[in-house]
Amino acid sequence: MPNVPVSFDTSWISPLTERLHEDGPWDKWELFKLALEAEEAMAVREFDSLQCLNYLPLLSPFPHQLQTAERVLNDMRGRAILADEVGLGKTIEAGLIMKEYMVRGLAKKILVLVPASLVIQWTKELQQKFGIPAVAQKKEYMWRQHEVVVASIDTAKRDPHRRHVLDIDYDMLIIDEAHKLKNKRTRNYQFVKEIRKKYCLLLTATPIQNEMDELYNLINLLKPGHLGHSTSFSTNYVEGKRQSKNSEKLREEIEKVMIRNKRSDGGIQFTSRRVQSIPIELTQEEMELYEGVTRFVHDQYKTGTGLFNSLALITLQREVCSSKEASFMTLYNMHQRTSEESLLRAQILELVEMIKRIETHSKAAKTVELIQQINDKVIVFTEYRATQNYLQKYLHDHGITSVPFRGGFKRSKKDWMTDLFQNRAQVLIATEAGGEGINLQFCNQVINYDMPWNPMRVEQRIGRVHRLGQKRDVHIYNLSTVGTIEEHILKLLYEKIDLFEMVIGELDDIVERLNLSSSLEENLTQIIMDSASTREMALKLDNMGHAIRASRQPHAAPALSEAAEQ
Amino acid sequence: MQANQVRQFVERYLATFSAHIVESHPDYLTVKLPVEVDKDIGNRPFYWSWVDKMNLAYQPLVLTFAFHPDRMPDGLRAEHLHLGAGRMQQIFASAKKHGQFVCMYEQNTASLPATGKRRSTPLVPWLGINLKVSFLCDKRRDLMLYLGVNLHQPRVVHDFSTYLFQLPLSPAIPDYFYTLDRKISVEDALQMARQEAEAVIAKEDQAWAAEAKARLAEELDILAAYYEELAKREPQAEQADADDEEAEKAEEPQAAQAIVPLPQTEAPPVAEPVVEAAQTIDEYRSSGGRILDFLRANGIQVTPREEINQEEWKKSTPEEEKQRRMDELRWQYEPRIEVHFINGGLFYLHSNPPVQKLSGAKTVRHLPANGRIM
Repeated sequence: MPNVPVSFDTSWISPLTERLHEDGPWDKWELFKLALEAEEAMAVREFDSLQCLNYLPLLSPFPHQLQTAERVLNDMRGRAILADEVGLGKTIEAGLIMKEYMVRGLAKKILVLVPASLVIQWTKELQQKFGIPAVAQKKEYMWRQHEVVVASIDTAKRDPHRRHVLDIDYDMLIIDEAHKLKNKRTRNYQFVKEIRKKYCLLLTATPIQNEMDELYNLINLLKPGHLGHSTSFSTNYVEGKRQSKNSEKLREEIEKVMIRNKRSDGGIQFTSRRVQSIPIELTQEEMELYEGVTRFVHDQYKTGTGLFNSLALITLQREVCSSKEASFMTLYNMHQRTSEESLLRAQILELVEMIKRIETHSKAAKTVELIQQINDKVIVFTEYRATQNYLQKYLHDHGITSVPFRGGFKRSKKDWMTDLFQNRAQVLIATEAGGEGINLQFCNQVINYDMPWNPMRVEQRIGRVHRLGQKRDVHIYNLSTVGTIEEHILKLLYEKIDLFEMVIGELDDIVERLNLSSSLEENLTQIIMDSASTREMALKLDNMGHAIRASRQPHAAPALSEAAEQ
Repeated sequence: MQANQVRQFVERYLATFSAHIVESHPDYLTVKLPVEVDKDIGNRPFYWSWVDKMNLAYQPLVLTFAFHPDRMPDGLRAEHLHLGAGRMQQIFASAKKHGQFVCMYEQNTASLPATGKRRSTPLVPWLGINLKVSFLCDKRRDLMLYLGVNLHQPRVVHDFSTYLFQLPLSPAIPDYFYTLDRKISVEDALQMARQEAEAVIAKEDQAWAAEAKARLAEELDILAAYYEELAKREPQAEQADADDEEAEKAEEPQAAQAIVPLPQTEAPPVAEPVVEAAQTIDEYRSSGGRILDFLRANGIQVTPREEINQEEWKKSTPEEEKQRRMDELRWQYEPRIEVHFINGGLFYLHSNPPVQKLSGAKTVRHLPANGRIM
């Protein structure tokens, strides 16, 4: 072949000549045949078709994931931005591409840079789903010692790690949450630019958050100059910060380096969500306790003795809606903190006495009824440890098997509990959404025993079961005690924001745009504590709901995102 | 490789080492690993160096291989064996290690002259070479070449191994046969095989290489234009905006460091890694070294605290950046061909391998081409 260098392996000549000379030792004929068969099994017969699935018998990727992998391989030649919408499996696509290059012997040394919180998850996923021996970077020597390293970008860019990373030629570089690199002036951006790499994948669900420049910067990281110099890019394509011109041409250029699968493209069917509110009437005694606690909480907040901060108070207020056990623990702790002669002690003890008098537990009773009615696997979410323990005992007393699940469990224990739930128990009682990589799709019934106030956490709870791979419709039951703040909050989340009806991923968008995630809980606390009456509280919550609703309205979508969306 | 192929492969592999099969169930296989197999696929090098050194009786490893992930054995620690499994790759590597060179004789008793006449029959020496030709650019394709070189009457045939697999072969020379002399050396045979391989390569479709080259040229052009424009528009490079502390702080609350090229003395180079040390631990051990010394010599020292320097940060100049990007592109696209040796051996044959079909056109050319027509 003209001008293509051919290297011919001759390392075998001398060992063979030696054996000829000595007449041996010779290998076994059968092993000779097996060696050849092994080579045949692993030979890459074609340039273009995916080989990696032969090596991944347990993985069944979705068609859009396979198409993406093929396009990256054949059209984009291993340098691409994977910009699927949330929940369509960018990680699977990246894994497929990585595996393909490894199987073809084209990539060995691979670096995966992700946010610190995702390092372990990525490592596990590469190992378990793709059989890739990835390690999470912990020690300095690991940069050199291991072929596939997963690390946080903030560690990698710091000395002495940086010197190792910049000294190595990486066959492949993968960056998750790449939209964090949108600003070319940050050190993260410049650091990534300096890494020597052959193939490169940038993963992000939001290639453009605000300005067109962000996408330009991302592409320039992948292929400097692909869109020309930033000035000519501006002249050619940019009308205003969010407006593009020559959209058709721009779209073509972007398509060469970016793939964005969308839920609306079809092909990917999510099952539907069926949400039900289950109102619970409290008994007289329970209502008295609720009112007693509410009064106590408001008094303490107003007089502001400073003994209990507003967080502790609002927690107590919420706990009393969950279970008397949860509020009892908090009251007990408060009691311990007050001095012996304090008047508060008497008040607290009075509340405790009320708890002791209560025999019934309407919410738990309703839960048992619901579980028996469902007669299938159920996940019950609660915010409080005390409630979790109580529920487990309560369910047990009613002949329902359950296992607990907490954020504090070690990974192995989480896996074990998941396993027990799948094979032995009917109910999983969880205080957290389960954590990444925990697979609960075999269950399609979720009871929100009490509600987190952060909508992202509600979404995480549901997202555990309502995701790719869920084959049935997902049923969500929200318990709310009538006449308590719980009812109001649920109204806000459910009726005003339509939280449960949102498409997966949509919420991320709103929360990020309004910067709600940190402030929503604070706002709610303030509204509840500062409102003089229930009416006032209801009104304020209503207003808040309207504000969030308004921001959902599809505002004039910038033409560029449309161009990029294609 | 399908599940049943995997199973057959593993069974044949184990049989060549006379492994003791503890249980053979339709869905799985429990086996006591023989020493050689254990050393290759058992993942316990330290155990082996200890057993060997102390001269102890070894405890065989018992493994259960399952072939159907949905029918894993109950109550047994089993591993699912498939083409992509790490253990399968180890088994492949072990087969290759133990199946490199053979010397075999054809046992074709049928062609023996009638009994009574004790006349010896000659066997022709052949060199069989199995090669893997890899066409590489940003993609890759492999081509298997099974060549045979007649060492007595120099000529090359294709698909030699395929032919061999149909013959009765044995490692010992059968009675009433003798071997003919080798007229050419192994080096000469190699030359012939090499020429043959190159002829085959020349006849392959070359579109992939042309395409890769075009792609490379195009990307290099874009790059050149981009950096030219960059130099024109921003003669001072992008240094001016390189320290936008606002952006930095907004995104990295803790590690906010302005990116200013600091005129500092260069920090000492990072502790040089010795990972690519020629010796593996096994080689090192067998030459009498201590494990601890090996680890000391080959481990990577942690960079001492005083050498860590967060300030030292040099941004590449546009020229350096361009050069790096050009190197990356060449690394990614430049077409090249590698010919790897899989295994090979010496074969003494009584029968004659068929003269080639399509791919062996080259070989045919040596023969009187018009002979058949006449």
